[in-house]
Amino acid sequence: MSDSERVASVLNAAGCERVESEEEANIIGILACSVRQKAIDKVYSKISKWNRWKEKKNLITFVSGCILPADKEKFLKLFDIIFTMPELPQLPKMLGEYGITNPLSLSSEPQTASEEIKLFWNVKPKYDSKFEAFIPIQNGCNKFCTFCAVPYTRGREISRPSEEILAEVKELAEKGYKTITLLGQNVNSYGLDKDGKEVSFPELLEKVGQIGEEVQKEFWVYFTSPHPRDMSDDIFHIIAKYDCLGKQIHLPLQSGDEKVLIKMNRKHSLAKYRSTMESLRAIIPQATVFTDIIVGFTDETDEQFENTRKAMEEFKYNMAYIAMYSPRPGAAAYRWEDSVSLEDKKKRFAILSEELSKHTYEYNKSLIGQTIKVLVREKDRKTGYLSGHTAGKLVIRFESDNMDLIGQIVELKVSNAAKFSLEGELVTKEVEA
Amino acid sequence: MKNNRNRLNLHEILEVRHLTDSTFVIRFEKNDLNFTAGQHVCVGPPNGIHTREYSIYSAVEDPYIEILVKEVENGLITPVLKKLKAGDSVVVEEPVGYFSLNEKEKLNKKYLFIATGTGISPFHCMVKSNPDLKYEIIHGVRTAEEGYERTEYTQKRYTLCSSRDKSGDYAGRLTNYLQEIQIDKDSEVYLCGNCNMIHDAYDILENKGIPNEQIHAEVYF
Repeated sequence: MSDSERVASVLNAAGCERVESEEEANIIGILACSVRQKAIDKVYSKISKWNRWKEKKNLITFVSGCILPADKEKFLKLFDIIFTMPELPQLPKMLGEYGITNPLSLSSEPQTASEEIKLFWNVKPKYDSKFEAFIPIQNGCNKFCTFCAVPYTRGREISRPSEEILAEVKELAEKGYKTITLLGQNVNSYGLDKDGKEVSFPELLEKVGQIGEEVQKEFWVYFTSPHPRDMSDDIFHIIAKYDCLGKQIHLPLQSGDEKVLIKMNRKHSLAKYRSTMESLRAIIPQATVFTDIIVGFTDETDEQFENTRKAMEEFKYNMAYIAMYSPRPGAAAYRWEDSVSLEDKKKRFAILSEELSKHTYEYNKSLIGQTIKVLVREKDRKTGYLSGHTAGKLVIRFESDNMDLIGQIVELKVSNAAKFSLEGELVTKEVEA
Repeated sequence: MKNNRNRLNLHEILEVRHLTDSTFVIRFEKNDLNFTAGQHVCVGPPNGIHTREYSIYSAVEDPYIEILVKEVENGLITPVLKKLKAGDSVVVEEPVGYFSLNEKEKLNKKYLFIATGTGISPFHCMVKSNPDLKYEIIHGVRTAEEGYERTEYTQKRYTLCSSRDKSGDYAGRLTNYLQEIQIDKDSEVYLCGNCNMIHDAYDILENKGIPNEQIHAEVYF
C-alpha cells in the first residue's frame, strides 16, 4: 500500500469516512513531499486556507510524509498534528487528544449527549491485548479548562451504568486479564451527574475491589484521567484496602502557580492539590504518583514557571507527562496569543524533565534489592530481554527469552536503576490461581 | 416538534433587553433545566455548532433563564445572539460549574463579590436567589453605563468603580479601590471577570491577609 492508502486505512478503522471535497471535511491532512519546493509551497498555501476555515468550522489538520527540518519547525506552528509515517498507528490517539473519539463528535449535525454516548458505550469492545483491557466508565467534561477542547467536543459529564462496568470488570478478571483501566475524561467525577441515583466513584471502586476478592485471581485496576477537584480521601482509603486496586495514582497538576491555574480555569488551587497529595502519601505511602504538566501556557512568566518547578521538586512524582503548550482548536485559550516562544517552552521542558529525573532516579535506586511483582508486557528493545510494569506502573526489564511469560505477573528482584526504568532478575513466576 | 426541539436543546427566547449598545440580556425558556446560583450554561445560535459559556444572570427560582451578554467585535457567537429576538431560539446546554456558594454556610457567611463588566452576572444570580445574603459587590467598569441594572442590588452593598469616567461611586480602577478599603478577613471572596483583574485582585487580597481557601475565581475569556 502507498503511504496515502495506509493513512486512509487507519482513519477508516478509526471510524472516519472519506468525503469528496475538502470543504466537507472535519479532518484534513497532507502527506508532504520535500523533493520539490513547489510541492511544499502548495502545503503552505493549503494550510493557510484551512486555518482561516477554522474560524467557522471544526477542523483538525495534520501533516506527515517527507518533511525537511526547517519546514517541520514551521509546520509545528501551522498544523494541529505532525507525525512521521512510523507513528501512523498513533494517529487516532493523536486525534483523540483533540477530544475526538469517533466521527460523531466532529459532525456538524447536533447530537444530544445521550444519543452520542449511547453509541459510544455500545461500541463492542475489541481488546487488542489478551491481558490488558480498558473500560470506559465516564464521558465528557464539566470543568472547562481553558487549554482543552474536550467540553466542546465531548459534551457534559455522563456516567455509564455501574452494573455494566462491574459486569465487564468481572468478566475480564475471570478471563485472566492482568490489568484493567477504568477510563474517563474526568474519571473520578463518575456518578456526579446522576444526583445520587448512581454509585459514586469511591463506591464503584469499592465494588471493583470486592470483585477482586471474589474472583481470586491477581489483577490490577487503574483509572485515568482524574481531576484533582474531585479527588477525595475516600478514594485513597478504598485503594489502600483492596489488593486489586493499583497503587498508582495519576493526579494532573498542569501548573504549580496559582495564577496560571486560575487562567487555566482548573477549579483547584495549589493549596487544595497539596492537601490531596498529603492525604495520598499518608493513606497509600507505597503509591507511585504520575502527573501532567503544561509548560509555556499563554503568558506564563519565568517566575510562574519556577513555581511549577518547585511543585515538581515538592511532590516528587514517579512520572510526569510534560507538554509544551500549543493552542488546541476549539479551546478557550485558542483565542489567546500563544505568547511564550518555542525556545522558552523547550527550555522549561528541559528544566522540568531534569527536575523530574532527580526524584525518579532516587526512587528507582531505593528499589534495588527489593523483590517486586511485575506484569510482563512485551519483548524489550534490548535483545534477549522482556519488559513490563510494576504494580506502580514503573517500567522494568529483565533477561529472558521465554515469550510465554508475556501477559503473566512474575516476581523480579530489582538489580539496577535508571532515571525512568528499572532492571531486575527473574525470581519466580507467579502460580496462576 | 417539541421533542425534536428538546433533542436539539433549543429554547425559545422570551425577551431581549438591550442595556447598552453592546450589552444585552437574553431571557429564554427554562424548560427542565435546574441549576445552582453561580453556574453557567453553554449557549449558541440555533443553526450553529458553536456555543459559549455564560453565567446565569437570573435567579434560581425564576421561571426562565437569563444570560448577560456583551457583544465581541468580530466574534463568532455574540453578534449573532445580538440579532435574535423574542420568538427565536437558542441552543442551551445543561448548567454546570463550581463557582457557587456553600449551601450549608451561605447565610452565616459574609461575601465580597468582585466583578468586572459582565462578570457581575453570577453575583446578580446569587443575590437575587438569596435575598438574605450578607454581601458587598465591587463592580469594575469603564463607564458608569456598564453598571448593568445596578438598582437590582441594595445600594449600600454595591460599589461601582468606573475607570474612564467619574460617574461611578469610585472614579478609578477596581483594583485601586480594593487597595484602599479594609476587608473583613472572614469574608468569602468571589472574583469574576477578566483574568488580569483577577490576578491583580488575588495579589491584593493575599497582601491583605485573606486566606487562599477563601478566594474563589471564575475567569471570563
